[in-house]
Amino acid sequence: MLALSFQRSIPAFAIVKAAGGRPDVATSAFSMLKLGDVSEPVLPAGWVRVMPTLSGICGSDLAAIGGHASLYLDPLTSYPFVPGHEVVGTLDDGSRVVVEPALGCKVRGIEPPCPRCAEGRPGLCYNVTEGPIEVGLQTGYCADTGGGWGEVLVAHPSQLHPVPAALSDEAAVLIEPLACCVHAAFRGGATKNDVVVVSGAGTIGLLTIAAIKLFTPPRRLIAIAKHPTQRDLARKLGADQVVAPADVFQRVRFATSARRLEGMNRSLLLGGADITFECVGSAESLNDAVRFTREGGTVVAVGMPGEEKVDWAPIWQRELTVMGAYAYGAEPKKKGKRTFELALEAAPELHLEQLTGPYFGLGEYRDAIAYAMSAGRLGAVKVCFDLRGLRA
Amino acid sequence: MTWYSGEGGAVRLASTLGSVVDDVSRVRRAWHWDTPRPHTWPERGAVVPAPASDLGWARQEPVRSLRYLIQHALLLPFTEVMAHPKVEGREWVRELERPVIFAANHSSHADTSLILHALTDRARDRTVVAAAADYWFKRPMLGNLVSLFLNTFPFSRTGGAQAQLHSSSVLLKSGWNLVLFPEGSRSPDGRIQEFKPGVGHLANETGTPVVPVHIRGAYQIMPRGQKLPVPGPARVRIGMPMAPGPKEGSREFTARVEKAVRALEAEPRQPAIQGTWIERWGAGKPREPKYQA
Amino acid sequence: MPRPGAVIEVDRNTPPVLFHFGEGMRLERLPLGSRIVYPPDPLDPIAHPERAIKRALAKPLEDDPLKSLLRSGMKLTIAFDDLSLPLPPMAAPDVRQLVMEEVIDMAAEAGVEDLHIIAALGLHRRMTEDEIRHIVGERIFSTFWPDRLYQHDGEDPENNVYIGKTSEGEDVTLHRRAAESDLVVYVNLTLVPMDGGHKSMATGLATYRGIRAHHNVKTLLGSRSYMNPPDSALHHSCIRQGQLIEDTVRVFHIETTVNNHAFPAIANFMQKRETDWTAQDQAMFLGMKQMTDLAPPAFKRSIFHAMRAPYGLTSVHAGQVDAVHDKTLEAVRAQLSVRVEGQTDIVTIGVPYLGPYNVNAPMNPVLVVCMGIGYLFNFYRNKPVLRKGGVLILTHPCRYEFDAVQHPSYIDFYDEVLADTTDPLEIEKKYELRFAEDPWFRQLYRKSHAYHGVHPFYAWYWAAHAMEHAGDIIIVGGDRDVVHRLGFKCATTLEDAFEMAEQTVGRYPSVTHMRMPPILLADVEA
Repeated sequence: MLALSFQRSIPAFAIVKAAGGRPDVATSAFSMLKLGDVSEPVLPAGWVRVMPTLSGICGSDLAAIGGHASLYLDPLTSYPFVPGHEVVGTLDDGSRVVVEPALGCKVRGIEPPCPRCAEGRPGLCYNVTEGPIEVGLQTGYCADTGGGWGEVLVAHPSQLHPVPAALSDEAAVLIEPLACCVHAAFRGGATKNDVVVVSGAGTIGLLTIAAIKLFTPPRRLIAIAKHPTQRDLARKLGADQVVAPADVFQRVRFATSARRLEGMNRSLLLGGADITFECVGSAESLNDAVRFTREGGTVVAVGMPGEEKVDWAPIWQRELTVMGAYAYGAEPKKKGKRTFELALEAAPELHLEQLTGPYFGLGEYRDAIAYAMSAGRLGAVKVCFDLRGLRA
Repeated sequence: MTWYSGEGGAVRLASTLGSVVDDVSRVRRAWHWDTPRPHTWPERGAVVPAPASDLGWARQEPVRSLRYLIQHALLLPFTEVMAHPKVEGREWVRELERPVIFAANHSSHADTSLILHALTDRARDRTVVAAAADYWFKRPMLGNLVSLFLNTFPFSRTGGAQAQLHSSSVLLKSGWNLVLFPEGSRSPDGRIQEFKPGVGHLANETGTPVVPVHIRGAYQIMPRGQKLPVPGPARVRIGMPMAPGPKEGSREFTARVEKAVRALEAEPRQPAIQGTWIERWGAGKPREPKYQA
Repeated sequence: MPRPGAVIEVDRNTPPVLFHFGEGMRLERLPLGSRIVYPPDPLDPIAHPERAIKRALAKPLEDDPLKSLLRSGMKLTIAFDDLSLPLPPMAAPDVRQLVMEEVIDMAAEAGVEDLHIIAALGLHRRMTEDEIRHIVGERIFSTFWPDRLYQHDGEDPENNVYIGKTSEGEDVTLHRRAAESDLVVYVNLTLVPMDGGHKSMATGLATYRGIRAHHNVKTLLGSRSYMNPPDSALHHSCIRQGQLIEDTVRVFHIETTVNNHAFPAIANFMQKRETDWTAQDQAMFLGMKQMTDLAPPAFKRSIFHAMRAPYGLTSVHAGQVDAVHDKTLEAVRAQLSVRVEGQTDIVTIGVPYLGPYNVNAPMNPVLVVCMGIGYLFNFYRNKPVLRKGGVLILTHPCRYEFDAVQHPSYIDFYDEVLADTTDPLEIEKKYELRFAEDPWFRQLYRKSHAYHGVHPFYAWYWAAHAMEHAGDIIIVGGDRDVVHRLGFKCATTLEDAFEMAEQTVGRYPSVTHMRMPPILLADVEA
C-alpha cells in the first residue's frame, strides 16, 4: 500500500538536525520520512481495518520529522512506523469512524489493566511494550498498527468512535486534538473566578480555548496569538481578549490588577493569571508563562515541548504547580465519560471545519509538511492529508 | 533589485532632495522673493520684541563644553605665555557658595582673559562677562565669537541705568558670577577712572557680594589703540568679597568698591582689602564632602 | 506697539499658513475666503519684576500686607503650580522663583522657622529634581530640598485630610500640612483663563476624592468653555470647594500672568504672522522643516523640548483670592482676547508638540485628543468658533508612542479602554474606578514619575464637549490605525480633509484657521 513511513536513521537524523529542521531538508531524500509502497499491517485477532479519508498533520509529527522531538520519546516508539494519529476514516462496511490512537491495556488485550488504564488514562499505560503489537504510545507511532498517512491502518474496536452523520469529515479530523484539549481543560480545572491565559493559538491553543469555554468557563480568558488569522479565530472560539506575545505582561497585568517588575531580560508580575495553558512548547513561551502566572497558580503544559531551557527559579519561588496534559481517556469530572465522546458531543457547535485546510494528497507530502511548518504565518491551522480515492 | 526601485538609498535621497526643493520653491513663491511685497498684506507689525538677546545660547551645553576646551587648549595657555600672570587672592574664589560680582579696573582688552585665568575652574565655569553691546555686539560675528571664547553677554552702556542692569541681575539670580568693569570703558592712560554707580545698584538690588579685582600690567600688554598684544608681566589681585552695609546706598557702596580697587593697586599687601592670612585660609577651606547615605 | 489679535481673510496673495504638526510643521494653503485668527502680539513685560512683586506684596487686594501676616513661630506653607505651566517652560528665572524668593525673604526677616514649600501638583506626575530646580531656582532648592520642599502626594492616606462637603455635596480634601498651617501662600502662574483662583487650592492640593467632584463628564459637558470661568461648571464647582477651603485655612494668593511670547528667537517664525516673516524667518523655517522631516523622533524631541519660552511678566497681584483673580483674568484676557465675528462650518487647528501633560515626553494619541480637541477647541468665550455639527480638522502625526515612565496608565487606557469604546460617559462608567484604584498605578504615581491612574480619563473628558459639539473630527497626517482607534477620521492632506468634510457640512463651507500657539482666546460674537 502507499504510505509515508518514518525510518529510524542516525545519519538522517544528524543531517536534518544540522539543517535546523528546515522542511525542504526534513522531507528530502536524506531525511527519515519516505513515501513508498509498504506492506499492509497484519490484522491481529479481533481488530478491524480502517481506511483513512482525512488525516491531520500534528505538531508532534512535525517535531519528529524536523528532528526536534525529545529523545525521551524514542524508546516509546517502534520503527518504521506510518505517522498520522488524527484520523477520520471508513471501515470495510463503509461506516465512518474516528480513531482514538492511545494503545493502552484494553487495546493490547492485557488483563488485569495497569493502574493508569484502570483509572481511565490509557495514554499513560505501563504496558505499552506488551501485546500483539510492538512498542508504541499511539497509533501513528507504532510499527505494527500503520497510521493515518497510509492507505490502511488496523485498530482495536475500542479505539473506534462512530462519526454522527451531521459531522463532516473536515470537522471530524479535529476530534482527536479536541479531545486532547478537553482533557487538558479538565486537568487545569479552571473555576468561574479564575483568570485563564491560553498561550499559543495554533490548533492546540485554539481548541483549548474552545474546550475551556465549554467545560470549565473561567471569569476571563486571555489568548496569546501571534498571527492575525489566529487572533480572529481565537476571538471567534470564545477568547475574551486576544493579545500579541510582546504585550502579554502589560495586558495580563491590567486584567489582574497585578504589579509588574522589570528584570534584566524579562518582566515578572506580582500577582497574575490563575491558570495558564501553555500551548506553544517553546522556551520563550514557557519562561514567560511561569512569570505571569500568579504565585501559587498552575501552568498546564498542553503543547508538546522538546528539551527546553526553562528557568526553574520562578517555578520554585512562586510555588507554581506545573503539570503536563497528554492525550485523553475517561474524565472523572464527567463521571468517567470518555473524552472522545465529550469531544464528539461538543464538536457540532464549534464548526471545526473553519480550522481545517488546506488538503494535500500523499504525493504532495513535501509541500504539505512545509505548509504545516509555517501554518500560522500562512493563515492556516490544521493542514491535512486527503486520502480519499487512494483505495479504489 | 535595481537602484531605482523601492526604498533604496538613491531613491530616498532623491525624494528627500525633491521635497527640499519643493519646500524652498513654495516659500519662494509664497513670500515673493522675486516680486514686490503685495499691498494687500497688512503693515509689517512690530517685530515681536525679542528681549534684547542676551546670548542665551552661549550659556547652554554643548557650547559650555566647547568653551571649556577652547579655554583650556587655547586661551589660558596663550595668556600664560603672554603675561605669566601672578595671582594673589585665589582663595576667595575657590569655594564660592553664591554668585559674586567681580569689579575690576579696565585698561586693556586683555583684562578679561587675565581675570578668567586668575579664577579656578569651578568659578570660571560659572562666570559670565559683561561686554559693551555697542562695541562688541554691533558686528554680527564678533559678539558671537567673543561669547564663545569668553562667555560674554551684551551689556548696554547707553540707555537708562535700569535697562542696563536688568539682564545682569537676571544672570546673577540664575547663579552666574558676573565680571563687570565699573569704569565703563578702557582707561586711556592706564590709570583708574571714576567708577560708574551701576555696580552698587546691582549689588543692592540682587544682594550679591562684590569682589574687587585689580589688574596690573594689562595696559602694557595691549593698551587702547594697539592692535596686537606684546608680552609682559602681569599681576592680578583679588580682594575680599564686599557686601553693602544695611543702610549703605548704591553710590556710597560703589565709592567704597572703587577705593578698594585703588588700594589694591599699591605695591604692598593690603590686609584690609585682601584679608589677613587667617581669613584667606578660612576662605580657601574645602567644603565638607557630602557622602550619600 | 504690540498689535491686538486679528482675523485675516485669505485672498490670492496670502502666503500659506504654518500648521503645527506635532514635532514638525506643515505649510498649508487655505481656501480663498477662509479666515485666519491670529493671536495678539505679546504685551511688553514689566521691566522690573522684583519691584512689581514687592509692591503687590506690600499693597495686596482686600488683604493685609504679607509682612504683617508673618510672625515668628507660625506655621507657614508656600504652595506653587507645577510644571504643566507655562508652556513651553519658561527661560530662567521662572516667575514663581522671583515671587517665592520675595516671600521667603520676608519670612526670613520675620523669623518664620517652620516653613514648608509644596509643589501643588494634584494628580499630575511628580517632577524630577532638575525640573523642580528649574522652577524654584538653585537658591531655594539647595536651602529647602528635600525635607522642607517636597511634592504633593494625592494618594497618601496619612497626609491628606477631609475638609468637608460643599453645599452641592462635593467632597473637599486638602494636604494635611496646608490644612494645619497658620498661613498658606499660593504662588500661581496663570497662563490661560482656566488656571488660578479657587481652582489652585481645590485641585493642586487635593486627592482623587476631591477632584472627581468636578473632573467628570457631566461637569465638563456643562463647561462651555472651561477657558471662561463664568460659563464653566468646572469652575463653579472649584469655587464652592475653594470657599470651603478658605473657611478652613488662611490663604494668601499671589497670581502672576505672562505675555504670550512663547517661542525663543530661534523659532520666531512660529511666533510671528506669516506676512511678517523676514528672510531670516523663512530660512529658519525651511531649515527646521527639513530637520523635522528627516530626523529620528528622539532627536527631534530633544530639540523641541529644549526650547525655553522668553515669557515676560505682565502682571502680579496678591491678596484675597476673588479680588486677585478678577484682576488676573483681566490681564490674561487683555493679552489673549481676539474678537471673532460669527461661527464657521469648519475650524482647522495645528496641534503642537507640547501640552501640559507631556513636558519632556512624547505626545501620545490620548494627549493629542486632550490638547487638540480639548484645550485648543475650548479657547473661546460665548460660543465656539465652530458651529454645532461643524467639522474640526486637526493636524498631528498621531504615532503610537507612549512614555512608559510618565504615562503608564495611558498605555492601558489606549489598549484596553479605547479598544472597547470611545464614548466618554461609557468610559467613565465602566473603567474609571478601576484605573483610579489600580495598585500599580498608585505606586507609580507615588514613587515614580507617572501621572495618576485616572489621569488619561480626565484627558479624554476634556474633549467631551468638542466631541459632542462637532459633527465630525478629522485628523490630517495621522497614523490610520491610531486615528481610527481614537474614533476619528483620517486624511493624508488638508485638501482631502476638506473634501471629506464637505460630506458633513456641504459644498463651499466657511473655514476658520486658529493660528495657535501662541495662545489666543476667541471672543465669538453671535
